[in-house]
Amino acid sequence: MTEQTTKSRFTFRTLVLLLLPIVALVGVIFLFLSTGGGLDFQSVAPIEDLTVERYELSPGHIDIYVRNSGPEDLTLAQAIINEAIWPIEVTPNATVPRLGRATVHIDYPWSYGEAYGITLFTTNAIAFDVEIPVAFNTPEPNSKTFWSFALIGLYVGVIPVFLGIFWFPVLRQLGRRWMVFLMAVTAGLLIFLGLDTLVEALEAAAEAPGPFQGIGLIGIGAVATFLLLDALSRKQVNTGSDETARRLSLAYMIALGIGIHNLGEGLAIGAAYNVGEIALGAFLVVGFIIQNITEGLGIIAPVLRDRPGISSLIWMGLLGGAPAILGAWIGGFAPSPTLAVLFLAIGTGAIFEVVYEIAKLIQKDTGKQAMPLTIFSGVLAGMLLLWVTGLLIK
Amino acid sequence: MKPISRRDFLKFGGLTLAGAAGATALGHSAGGASEVAAKPLKPQMQHGDDLIPGIDGEVDHEANGFNPTEILTDFDYGEVSALPNGQTLREFRIVAANRNIEVLPGIGFPAWTYNGRIPGPTIRCTEGDRIRINFINGSDHPHSIHFHGIHAGAMDGVPGTGPGGSVAPGGTFVYEFDAEPFGLHLYHCHVFPLARHIAKGLYGAFIIDPAGGRPPVDHEMVMVMSGFDVDFDDANDFYAVNGIPFHYQNHPIPLKTGETVRIYLVNILEFDLINSFHLHANFFNYYPTGTSLTPIEYTDTIMQTQAQRGILEFSYKHPGMYMFHAHNTEFAELGWTGMFEVTE
Repeated sequence: MTEQTTKSRFTFRTLVLLLLPIVALVGVIFLFLSTGGGLDFQSVAPIEDLTVERYELSPGHIDIYVRNSGPEDLTLAQAIINEAIWPIEVTPNATVPRLGRATVHIDYPWSYGEAYGITLFTTNAIAFDVEIPVAFNTPEPNSKTFWSFALIGLYVGVIPVFLGIFWFPVLRQLGRRWMVFLMAVTAGLLIFLGLDTLVEALEAAAEAPGPFQGIGLIGIGAVATFLLLDALSRKQVNTGSDETARRLSLAYMIALGIGIHNLGEGLAIGAAYNVGEIALGAFLVVGFIIQNITEGLGIIAPVLRDRPGISSLIWMGLLGGAPAILGAWIGGFAPSPTLAVLFLAIGTGAIFEVVYEIAKLIQKDTGKQAMPLTIFSGVLAGMLLLWVTGLLIK
Repeated sequence: MKPISRRDFLKFGGLTLAGAAGATALGHSAGGASEVAAKPLKPQMQHGDDLIPGIDGEVDHEANGFNPTEILTDFDYGEVSALPNGQTLREFRIVAANRNIEVLPGIGFPAWTYNGRIPGPTIRCTEGDRIRINFINGSDHPHSIHFHGIHAGAMDGVPGTGPGGSVAPGGTFVYEFDAEPFGLHLYHCHVFPLARHIAKGLYGAFIIDPAGGRPPVDHEMVMVMSGFDVDFDDANDFYAVNGIPFHYQNHPIPLKTGETVRIYLVNILEFDLINSFHLHANFFNYYPTGTSLTPIEYTDTIMQTQAQRGILEFSYKHPGMYMFHAHNTEFAELGWTGMFEVTE
């Protein structure tokens, strides 16, 4: 009987009780908006905010992509380029709704290699600055530039990761203690990369339009990724996969974490390339290969005692390295600070989850014989490895 | 935007090699950078004939309440009567008022104005006339009118000189003095902070003709050079003659060959040290401050600091389109450019 009553109460009364606060909320909001709630919301000056997402240069022409990140609509009126007024055309509309986007087109005879400062004025005479540190033709998405960006990704991602994987046959012959050491090194590498990815996410968050709450996105992306990967690995334990299969999937997860990190790296490289902030000299590429070779090492560390097939190794290498190419394409052709925040947050969550998995694996491996100093020196070596090779590139 | 990774290319590569080095280096590996450096700079310009700084569209002159085309030849001689001693009395009514001015199409500026316009009315009289200015402060800030000329301290319109030094909102004051010396002068608000009170638009030209007048010419024009700091960072965003940037570029001043022209040129530009005037394809006689009937120079470019002024006289020999502008080219491209359209 009690069960019956509970059920019927849930259907009727509970529903009403559930909806009551929401109805009341609507009433309060309506009252507040119509009366102002006794507060004076008249602002002295209009509050406007504009985020410049990117710009594109083509001969005799400048396009600026902006987003209205202020609380209300704003209207773009005029532009000054290097202390001269130039006529502008705004598409689709000079009046940009909140969070809406617009493109400012300016016919301007810019010169190769020079710097330009553009000020956009709204109808309320609020000024927003756009800096073009070095003017050159923005690469258009054609087969040639696609190939160029693919090459960048190949150099900074795919090649180094595979070079690291080539150590596989040699490292297989190592003893147990050395294998634990290598796992610890991998953990150290990943901690360093994770911190780095987090910092990049924070930097990108500062550039994303305010209403998109970049920091909040980092939390969502990182925590969700961490918990999702954790759930996946627990599910694997529950379904009773054997140790070998679990170590292999850990290797895949490391590859995935590193891959997302490299995707973020590709994003930054592509975007930096587009604004002319990057000079990829031969020396830099060498630095990349030296530093990222460690990433390949990290991927194979958990499966050294097993016999993963060649195809597995190839897939892991691609998973770890190829996202750099994808990132370079996105960063180069359609950069978006908000998207970058999300990617980098996912990378952060993935990397730290993988560190957690490695820690569990090491713990299991050292169950019979504790090796605290091996772990300490391994993690430290991993972090120092990236720090020292980073000196080459910074 | 500055999306740089831990790889921090910028610090390493610097801006010197620019982006091209990257592209080429990728294509040709190591040799790329030096190859690019050796190449001559490629001019990626497309200089269309009509690619010039300027504005599309038109400000709403009607809503603004004034039109620079009319200000050019709008001389206010006041209400004329004779004093008992026979002296000519000229009475003027000047109201200070807040006014939102559309300085460029779409850009409003919360200006302070004399009689609702920038520049204020061009007050014109003859040497020895009695000038009486009925000043009404219709704005919500204290203001004054400070005339350049020779007069009593109480009529100087500067705080500390009496009730005329700072007229409270809603208040009135009568400035009265004899017009001297003859020449081209100016007036402006002198309430502090002075830079803001001038930059917001409280200024105008003040012409005192010599007793016998100047030689007749076909056209007399007044040009008041100023600027607008629309974002209040104490630096001008736009420059103009007679209030609206690029007005005479979009509406050339018509002239005929051989016609004589006299320009009363006043500089009241705030924030910048100097202003200038350059006439294209021509030379002019220049009378600084207009206090002499003999020109001191025959030139095509003159320079004025704030409150300096002078009279220019010239005529065009050939028909055509002729530019006049500040030869501070930055000002020119930010609005201080106009055209004479000379026909036969």
